[in-house]
Amino acid sequence: MTFDTVNLIPVLPEILILILASAVLLVDLYVKEAEKGTLHTLALIGVALALAATLLVGGGERQVVLEGHYVRDALSDALKAMILIVGLLVFVYSRDYLRDRGLATGEYYALALFALLGMMVMVSANSFLAIYLGLELLALCLYALVAFDRDSQRGAEAAMKYFVLGALGSGMLLYGISMIYGATGSLALDEVAAVVAEQGLENLVLVFGLAFLVVGIGFKFGAVPFHMWVPDIYEGAPTPVVLLLGSAPKIAALALAVRLLIDGLGGLQSDWQGMLVILSVLSMGLGNLLAIAQTNIKRMLAYSTISHVGFIFLGLLAGTADGFAAAMFYAIVYAMMAAGAFGILLILSRRGFDAEHLDDLKGLNDRDTWYAAVMALMMFSMAGVPPFVGFMAKLFVLKAVVDIGMTWLAIVAVFFSIIGAFYYLRIVWLIYFDKPTTDAPLTDSGGVRVAMSLNGLAVLGLGLFPATLLAICQAAFL
Amino acid sequence: MITLADYLILGGILFAIAVAGIFLNRKNVILLLMCIELMLLAVNMNFVAFSHFLQDMAGQVFVFFILTVAAAEAAIGLAILVVLFRNRRTIDVEDMDLLKG
Amino acid sequence: MGFEKFLFYCFAAITVVAAGMVVTRRNPVHAVLYLVLAFVSSAVLWLLIEAEFLGIVLVLVYVGAVMVLFLFVVMMLDVDLAALRAGFVRFLPIGGLVAAAMAVQIFLVVGPANFGLEAFPKPPAAPAEYSNTEALGLALYTEHLYPFEIAAVILLVAIVAAIRLTLRRRPDTKYIDPSAQVQVKKGPDRVRLVKMPAEGKVETP
Repeated sequence: MTFDTVNLIPVLPEILILILASAVLLVDLYVKEAEKGTLHTLALIGVALALAATLLVGGGERQVVLEGHYVRDALSDALKAMILIVGLLVFVYSRDYLRDRGLATGEYYALALFALLGMMVMVSANSFLAIYLGLELLALCLYALVAFDRDSQRGAEAAMKYFVLGALGSGMLLYGISMIYGATGSLALDEVAAVVAEQGLENLVLVFGLAFLVVGIGFKFGAVPFHMWVPDIYEGAPTPVVLLLGSAPKIAALALAVRLLIDGLGGLQSDWQGMLVILSVLSMGLGNLLAIAQTNIKRMLAYSTISHVGFIFLGLLAGTADGFAAAMFYAIVYAMMAAGAFGILLILSRRGFDAEHLDDLKGLNDRDTWYAAVMALMMFSMAGVPPFVGFMAKLFVLKAVVDIGMTWLAIVAVFFSIIGAFYYLRIVWLIYFDKPTTDAPLTDSGGVRVAMSLNGLAVLGLGLFPATLLAICQAAFL
Repeated sequence: MITLADYLILGGILFAIAVAGIFLNRKNVILLLMCIELMLLAVNMNFVAFSHFLQDMAGQVFVFFILTVAAAEAAIGLAILVVLFRNRRTIDVEDMDLLKG
Repeated sequence: MGFEKFLFYCFAAITVVAAGMVVTRRNPVHAVLYLVLAFVSSAVLWLLIEAEFLGIVLVLVYVGAVMVLFLFVVMMLDVDLAALRAGFVRFLPIGGLVAAAMAVQIFLVVGPANFGLEAFPKPPAAPAEYSNTEALGLALYTEHLYPFEIAAVILLVAIVAAIRLTLRRRPDTKYIDPSAQVQVKKGPDRVRLVKMPAEGKVETP
């Protein structure tokens, strides 16, 4: 084997994140308690550098380097850039919360950066090995972050549940991978795809492995009936961690599904389509129905996540390039909306107080008109009210499903999303038409308001002009 | 002659025992962690067998990485367990009622 | 039935029984020990199909380190055993059913029909000078360089996470600060001369 440093150029974003994460760990040893803000700056610099590198090395022909384990293509460029942008938002929003609670330590920033690295590895994976390792890197960071507040009983409990179910999901995924390896004799996605195209549905072992793979993907997405961990983790984990694990990892999970099901096992589409239909309908139904009954807003948003996962699956199961692009559009948009919604919860929280009940949102408009408007915008968008971007995302997904003749599925999806609109609009009602329960002022440091405004404008602007983002998504599946 | 099927069936039985163990020991977190180790052993058994009968080194390399990740996973899992025990003085899953679900 | 097959059945039986014991034992310490047995007999099975390096790693690293970590934690936590088993009988039927259904399904798919000797004949035994460790090392450090680096990061994450979650500084712990020790300068820091009033002259006999 010859090793050429040219091989490393496409991997530059990952390398930068890794260097900065290690730098955070080292700098943490030398800065004093009062100067921990340096770590925040360092993390932001790292993400920004990686974002710049992604845009710099991105574009152009598909490149496969590092002995076929790493691929850089239009899909990986777009998803990585979005993951890093959402990552920037996450760091900016969570700064005050972490500082007030003494959680802004070097370990937090290092683990969060490593989690971003794991997502990027998943997005650029071109072999089962790289996918699995990226997935575990992300998962291990998240397990630790959920338990990060060591004195919180709920955090430790949530982390334990997350850990056990996450490891179970990984086990299922691995068993599926082992079967596919046995049936095809290769771990590289390109070679697997070639063998699958040749043998197709003849091979019972492939289908058997696929079933385990879909179960594993279901666990990682948190789709019904593998959703048991989602509400508990959202409720128990510290809010900044929920912000981190509820937003960008959805984009990475989409990449996981695309790499495994489309790049690897595209030849078995008729098999996984049926499985995804079941997961999708159950997720949309149960997610929306259970969300109505919640009084804890973090739990409510957890069930709302489950229902949105159902929509992402709708796009994937359509099995057309338009469907995949719609699913990608949906995942990106959802990550932005989730970042905004949890960001507002972080702003509402103060020292010694966590905003987690619906009542805490009452009369937000009287306390801060601008944040109230942004929160309302996020809720309208999640509910799928035009002209916000959430509506466009739902529209593209539904169109893809109708195009393949599964109109009944589209009708079911519309029905459930109308039910779902109820609980989103209830929040808007609370924000504008109820009296505040407290008059404590909202505090924020400079960057938060700017970032939140940009986030809100993106949700509005992309809804009015979705063409650019949609074109990027479509280019990824040409 | 040992056949590939022998190893795969053994792997399958181990996997089934591990899944049953997760059902049976829902109350005891330590046993849940052990069932997960057992599940990974089943997967490793499959990979090693395939690797030998396909005469392909990649399967063994995958096992190598699964062992690495499993060790890291065990370390983090046990660390979370210790934190949980310090906070709650119990590892009984039924006592985990702060989060309904 | 050749000798190899006989060995396979012996150790496969031990593995399955040990695995069954792991999930049914009352005492977590016993469960860990049965898990060790399952791992060791699996290692033998791996040796039988020429995966020598992994077999030895499984015993040395996995049993030697990870399982000992399990034992350590089990013994450190003071667990109330009786209470933990209360739901066992209740879940036994459903657990058994799920396991049996799964095993039958897996048997149907991976049984001799698909993976018998006809489809996958036994490969010829490796020549005497073949080294499994060398082959694995070559594959690991060339073709799988990228996964190898990610695995390194995963181990780093495990270190950081485990330390963060469990290490607490207690104010009452007494410890030696090595950096302060190293920075001691020659002279005044090391040797202190204490002035004392001289005794009167001692008479020598």
